[in-house]
Amino acid sequence: MIGRLHPLPKLALCLIWIGASVLVFDLRFQLLTLALALALLWAVERVPLWKLLALMIPFALFGFGFLTTSVLFNQESGFALQMAHEQGAASPDFSPGLVLFARTLACGMVSALFALTTDPGQLVRSLMTHLRLPAPVGFALMQAMHLVPDLGREMQTMRMARAMQQRRPMRRIPRPGEVMALTIPLLAFAIRRASRAAIAMEAKGLRPHHPRSQMKTTPIRAGDTAVLGFGLAILATLITLLDQT
Amino acid sequence: MPEALSCEGVAVRYPFAARDAVGPLTLQVAQGERVLLLGPSGCGKSTLLHSLTGLIPHAIPADRRGALHLFGQAVESRSPADWADRVAILFQDADQTLAGLTVSDEIAFALENRAMPPAEITLRVTRAMSQAGLPESWSERRISTLSGGQKQLVALASVLAQGADLVVADEPTACLAPAAARMLADLLLAPGQTVLIVDHRLGPILDRIDRVIVLGREGQLLADGPPAQVFATHGPTLAAQGIWTPLAVRVRLELATQGINVPPVLQVADLVPHLPPDADLGPMLLAAPLPPGPVVVCLHDAACAPPFGPKVLRDISMHLRGGEVLGILGPNGAGKSTLAACLAGLIPPREGRRDGPPGAIAFQNPEAHFTTDSALAELAASGMTPPQAAEVLGDWGLSHVAQQHPFTLSTGQKRRLALALLTATDRWPVLVLDEPTAGLDHAGTLFIARHIRRLAARGKALAVITHDADFALSVCDKIAVLADGTIRTDGPARQVLCDTALLQAVGLAPPEATPLLDWMERKG
Repeated sequence: MIGRLHPLPKLALCLIWIGASVLVFDLRFQLLTLALALALLWAVERVPLWKLLALMIPFALFGFGFLTTSVLFNQESGFALQMAHEQGAASPDFSPGLVLFARTLACGMVSALFALTTDPGQLVRSLMTHLRLPAPVGFALMQAMHLVPDLGREMQTMRMARAMQQRRPMRRIPRPGEVMALTIPLLAFAIRRASRAAIAMEAKGLRPHHPRSQMKTTPIRAGDTAVLGFGLAILATLITLLDQT
Repeated sequence: MPEALSCEGVAVRYPFAARDAVGPLTLQVAQGERVLLLGPSGCGKSTLLHSLTGLIPHAIPADRRGALHLFGQAVESRSPADWADRVAILFQDADQTLAGLTVSDEIAFALENRAMPPAEITLRVTRAMSQAGLPESWSERRISTLSGGQKQLVALASVLAQGADLVVADEPTACLAPAAARMLADLLLAPGQTVLIVDHRLGPILDRIDRVIVLGREGQLLADGPPAQVFATHGPTLAAQGIWTPLAVRVRLELATQGINVPPVLQVADLVPHLPPDADLGPMLLAAPLPPGPVVVCLHDAACAPPFGPKVLRDISMHLRGGEVLGILGPNGAGKSTLAACLAGLIPPREGRRDGPPGAIAFQNPEAHFTTDSALAELAASGMTPPQAAEVLGDWGLSHVAQQHPFTLSTGQKRRLALALLTATDRWPVLVLDEPTAGLDHAGTLFIARHIRRLAARGKALAVITHDADFALSVCDKIAVLADGTIRTDGPARQVLCDTALLQAVGLAPPEATPLLDWMERKG
């Protein structure tokens, strides 16, 4: 359902909500944001819970830094925490480290909500149509999306070749040293591939500053605007209610 | 007929190169003409194609001399992107040259660049998908989920949708299964189209070609004319330069060495009535039998899957003996490369078991094998002394590139270096070669075929993945055909490759040599 919304109003709403999350220094707001995004993904979009938890690991590790700094180095980080604490709509009842930790998770979950419910191709096309993103930049972004699985496949082949040379079966998870050794060859592969793609796109008529049409343009419908308005209304209500209590 | 393309003394030289990569060339292609450009590996065919719309020197730095005209207009009067409204290019490597994220995005891309009305684009995309045999449900399918052959078909649909006045195609059938290659030839080379095509696989395209232009080793014109005339007149010269010729021509030349003269024909079926009973075709078509050694590697009820991927093959039971060459055939996406990794022991089977020592794979992309900065250093890194390494390079015809960086070698040289690395020591008793002849000229293919048999004679157990049934016939002792996630059939090479009904059922084609095999069978 959320996947059917136009990417741009959805992007605007997510960015505004993340902005609010950064500005409102209130644990309750962060937790509500986290819970709302999680509920939408889990209950409406049917994203498995394990996947959502796994996606939150890097955000949790990042946020954990704030928490430990706040708890263990309270004295040393006093100024930064004081600054954060004095932000608008701050709630005095919770440890600033805990709020920062929850903020990281909340922003992460809102980002996940956008990423997991948006078709990247449609997003890039919408940016080209509605926000005049230059076509060469848009298709360069799409090429980057092509490159990721290609790099993965190339890395597997290189890992097999190296496993063969070292007379051992391929490890399921590569060791850090192995990953380091693959960096330069993979970079060379990426550069060669990008050059070939650029030549092919030019041969197919892509050029900067030249008018082009689009087969599929997704118009922003009244429903999309209504969802944006509804989301903003919830956000405003939430902030107002939390501010009054 | 008016000219579509005209080259007057065109030559291209890359920066810092001592000689021209191609040319000087003078040639014309008329509108409505379907022209095959042939030549040995490295003679500058792709360079010439890249020059036609000005990609050289506009996007690829090089010095181009001479006059080049498209439809009577100087090529340099427009940018390569501007020429896209009249010239469509089908690139060699569809894997790396697709622009859109989904199938319909890709097919619409060139039309959108021409600012066509969306309704017209939709119409053309739907029609092109149907022509190329792509199911409607693929419209929103991500390109990254397609196999190499499927991507090539999408690239073909994209070219068809363009409806260009001239189509330039660089080895479009190289990674396609035979049925798909035949369909591509039917669509691309339909009568009335103006096409300039470079391809080593002559079988699917030869009867659709009006004219052949042959470039020699130095990138200069060697022959030009209708196929029958070129192959009849220049057959021996082409063979001497290692250029692919039709099987009928190769057989005729081989018979001539036996003192048997047959008329110059292009199709094998036309050759059969002229074959005398004493003609010996076996050595040129079939692998010389070797005494089978002990079983080296076995798969028992194995289920094979790529790393982190789902199982693509189930219930695989097979064994490979020393001195035996197994051919693995199958349509695009059948799981051949996954089976190769499992057979070599690089990926353990998800179910069942593999018995045998570790093996090695010569990957389809030979660059995956290289880790140092020269061909000689690659061999030295595998534990050889410099004199030993030099001897091995000589053995594989690579002495003159010993100090060159492996990435700067030609495709054929890269493949030979990768094989030299894997076979220089007796470290691996099992060797799997993944598409070892893709993109190679006839000389390169013969070289690889001879080495495969030589390695088998040394007692190695070999498996060869290929789409080329004639190559499989000439080097393999037995064949396994993969389809629908398992082995559909296996057995002696000649027996399996003569089962036309089965091969066609899985999208493969019987060898071009089938009429000759039937003749041998009848002769007893």
